[in-house]
Amino acid sequence: MTTRRSFVVGALGSAAFFGSSQSSFAQGVPAGYPADYADLIARAKKEGRVAIYTSTDEAQGQPLVEAFKQAYGIAVDYNGLGTTDVYNRVISEGAAGQVGADVAWTSSMDLQMVLAGKGLLDTYLSPEAAHFPQTSIYKDMVFGTSVEPVAMIYNKNLLKAEWVPKTRADLVKLLQEYGKDLKGKVASFDPEKSGIGFLLAQTDLQNTSSFWDLAKAFGAADGKVYGSSGAMREKVVSGEQIVAFNVIGSYALQWQKESPVVGVSFASDYTSAFQRVASVTKNAPHPAAGRLFLDFMLSEKGQAILADKGVPPLRKGYKGALDAEEIGKLTGGNMKVIPVDEKLAGNMNPKLRSEFFQIWRKAMRGEG
Amino acid sequence: MSAAGGLARRSEGQGYRVAVIAALVLVVMTPVGLILYQSFLDAPFFDKTARMSLEAYDYVLTDPDFWTALGTTALFAVGLVAVAVPLGAMLAFLLSRTDLVGKRWLEPVALVPMFLSSIVLAFGYTVAVGPSGFVSLWMKETFGIKPWSIYSLGGMILIGGLSHVPNVYLYVSSAMRSLPSDLEEAARASGASIWRVSLDVTLPMVLPSLIFAAALNLLLGFETFGIPLVLGDPSGIVVLTTYIYKVNGIFGTPTYHVMAVVAVALILITLPLVYFQRLLLRNSRRYAAVGGKGARATPLRLGPSGQVIAWSLIALWLVVSVALPIGGITVRAFVDAWGEGVRLRDHLTLAHFAHVFDTPSLFRGIINTLLLAVIGGAFAVAIYLAVGLAGHRNKGPSGALLDYMVLLPRALPGIIIGLAFFWVFLFVPFLTPLRPTLVSLFVAYTVVGLSYGLRIIQATLLQVAPELEESSRTTGASPMRTWRDTVIPIIRPGLVGAWSLIMIVFLREYATGVYLMGVGTEVVGTLMVSLLTSGSMDQIAALAFLSILFTALGLGFALRLGARIHD
Repeated sequence: MTTRRSFVVGALGSAAFFGSSQSSFAQGVPAGYPADYADLIARAKKEGRVAIYTSTDEAQGQPLVEAFKQAYGIAVDYNGLGTTDVYNRVISEGAAGQVGADVAWTSSMDLQMVLAGKGLLDTYLSPEAAHFPQTSIYKDMVFGTSVEPVAMIYNKNLLKAEWVPKTRADLVKLLQEYGKDLKGKVASFDPEKSGIGFLLAQTDLQNTSSFWDLAKAFGAADGKVYGSSGAMREKVVSGEQIVAFNVIGSYALQWQKESPVVGVSFASDYTSAFQRVASVTKNAPHPAAGRLFLDFMLSEKGQAILADKGVPPLRKGYKGALDAEEIGKLTGGNMKVIPVDEKLAGNMNPKLRSEFFQIWRKAMRGEG
Repeated sequence: MSAAGGLARRSEGQGYRVAVIAALVLVVMTPVGLILYQSFLDAPFFDKTARMSLEAYDYVLTDPDFWTALGTTALFAVGLVAVAVPLGAMLAFLLSRTDLVGKRWLEPVALVPMFLSSIVLAFGYTVAVGPSGFVSLWMKETFGIKPWSIYSLGGMILIGGLSHVPNVYLYVSSAMRSLPSDLEEAARASGASIWRVSLDVTLPMVLPSLIFAAALNLLLGFETFGIPLVLGDPSGIVVLTTYIYKVNGIFGTPTYHVMAVVAVALILITLPLVYFQRLLLRNSRRYAAVGGKGARATPLRLGPSGQVIAWSLIALWLVVSVALPIGGITVRAFVDAWGEGVRLRDHLTLAHFAHVFDTPSLFRGIINTLLLAVIGGAFAVAIYLAVGLAGHRNKGPSGALLDYMVLLPRALPGIIIGLAFFWVFLFVPFLTPLRPTLVSLFVAYTVVGLSYGLRIIQATLLQVAPELEESSRTTGASPMRTWRDTVIPIIRPGLVGAWSLIMIVFLREYATGVYLMGVGTEVVGTLMVSLLTSGSMDQIAALAFLSILFTALGLGFALRLGARIHD
């Protein structure tokens, strides 16, 4: 596999080398990239546009898009969809032979692995790949673009300071002991509605022994479930809910800056973190532009732009806002990053899912 | 008139009918057939591994959650009708048959709840009367109690019912306005009170429109998505539409077959309703009120005490169903935080609007929505009129077929119709270039609005007494000519009313675009749904506020230009 791939790349490389001798050499090729990259840029410019299907909020993604446009003069169709919609759309369009997306960029790591398994994603040897850990790249098809720890958020006016959970164990204890006082006032992700919600619940289940205790106490406290972190923020800020857990931490830090009511806490004994993953699609309408965009996302500049909008970067050696050191400090060094690997596809096992949801629903009804 | 000539003219009308009905069957049955076919497979129909199977039926029918959702849905729909129909009928009577003070400006205001997609409405109520809403907090401070909960089935029914009052109102008032006032005046002259007149004289004459309104609102209740999603779902109150929505997540793969089974279940529930409706209206002649002798309506006088009572009721309804949700949305659109312990004054901002105008997709969404509503709405009404005439005075089997074709899509939630058309535009070769254009949304919207628009047009057509058409035919006019020169001029005010209704329907639609919408075809309603999945509440509030504003401006403009909602 590897030998064949390197052969193909080598062939492409030499073809591009001979091709580029007559054109103006390597104009706009980022430092450290192979010289034949100018060819990719030229083809991408000829394609003229790139289409992104993503679950990333436009507020986080737009600066990246603007910077890309400025760098290459290529138009970007930014299609903001939910995690399941990104997935469903890539599948249906692939089946119809009318692929619309060049890049699929989503927080549902497991769904992206299924797309890879179904042969809907293309392989690409990104020149940026070397800057990323092995646990972030799967078969040159799925690339982790960020590392995002989950957090607990709470309403500072309504939660007694001594009740603020500092660890996962604190959270379980809080719900078990003070569930009555917090009745109907605790929120979390809905694993039924949200792909990322399910991924986080599975991760907790696999990495902690207290997951079902937490779920039962949550259900007994008449906990409410939501499909997005933003919806939970709204409820906590308004005081409808007092505590929410498994909220996307990078967003939470942003909200803490914006609102004096929001408190953020990362569990120091165990904090899970997911990677927002990106891929180029097979038979993409603008294959070169898609690859160019992926590289741009992974580049030092792209990662810094994302970090600036609260999406922590993954790139090795990155220094700046939300770098590895800062994230490590926040999470007490006990961050469990979900690796981009085949095991994630196991989350799609129907038996595993139906068993999980049976116990989950019982817990939510307070029958645990 | 020779026998041969008469035959030729009859066949002219017949040919028209056949052509229209055939086209309608094609447009409606393609998505419905696709859904039916999909329900009998064990995977998405485009998946090569898909086999014929009853697996999906087995899953749904043995799932206790499905039956719970079905029961909750039925309660919700019946409750919604019980709230909306009496209030809507009363409102229609007061605004169209009496001399109520200020009714000219009251009418556009009374339609406002219709401008809002139910997601936004639910959202507005949350900010106003939710557990931390400004009205709730004020109640708590002033009286020490907050006597309601909107996160309950009762709360959902009340909110759903109140938001559907304008639907009933439009149907019923459309019929009421074409009534002559001689019967009501006679009843008044013989000493009946105004309320008695409304119940015993006016109401029976508009019975068909009331039945239509009730039946259609029942169907709407079955497919309401936004209110249960925002108000019920976090607490575990699930209806069929939210059940469909969650099934995908539970399996973790596209479970189009399971979604299709639930859609088929919805069709099976609602078809008998359609049959019942047709039965009630078999003898449509009984309801013809505009006879050969024309009579202009003169409004009934309410008198001072009548004015006061009527105004109090309307004011209460307006506060609850217009001021509260719009107030909630307005507050939310201009602040970045709200609720307990938050001083709104400290959080005022215009940033949400700046963001909407800076973000290309959101800005495009606003433009597209306006195009689709105003221009698309006009085209849709023309199509509905063409269909309406094909079914007009058509008592044969083709008329029955037409009725079912019209109501079939109404039985399906917009999200399912949108999904089916997404498949159609994706897999039918000569249609694929249309998918990234507004045409794809227009087609789906037209099908979704079909029964709404057609019932308005049919209700108006029914008011034209047959003798008018018969006299035209006996003087030698062809059916086409009769329609052009006799029927259409009479119902023209009804057509303008239908246009404004369809415009509103298209403006507020959100579920249909969920699967169809793509880059370049963004619409405001669906953008709000996708923003909800990413949790961008700030932008949702700003978009909601803008869409209310634009609709209000558009309506004001239309009124000024003389295109009144009714004549």
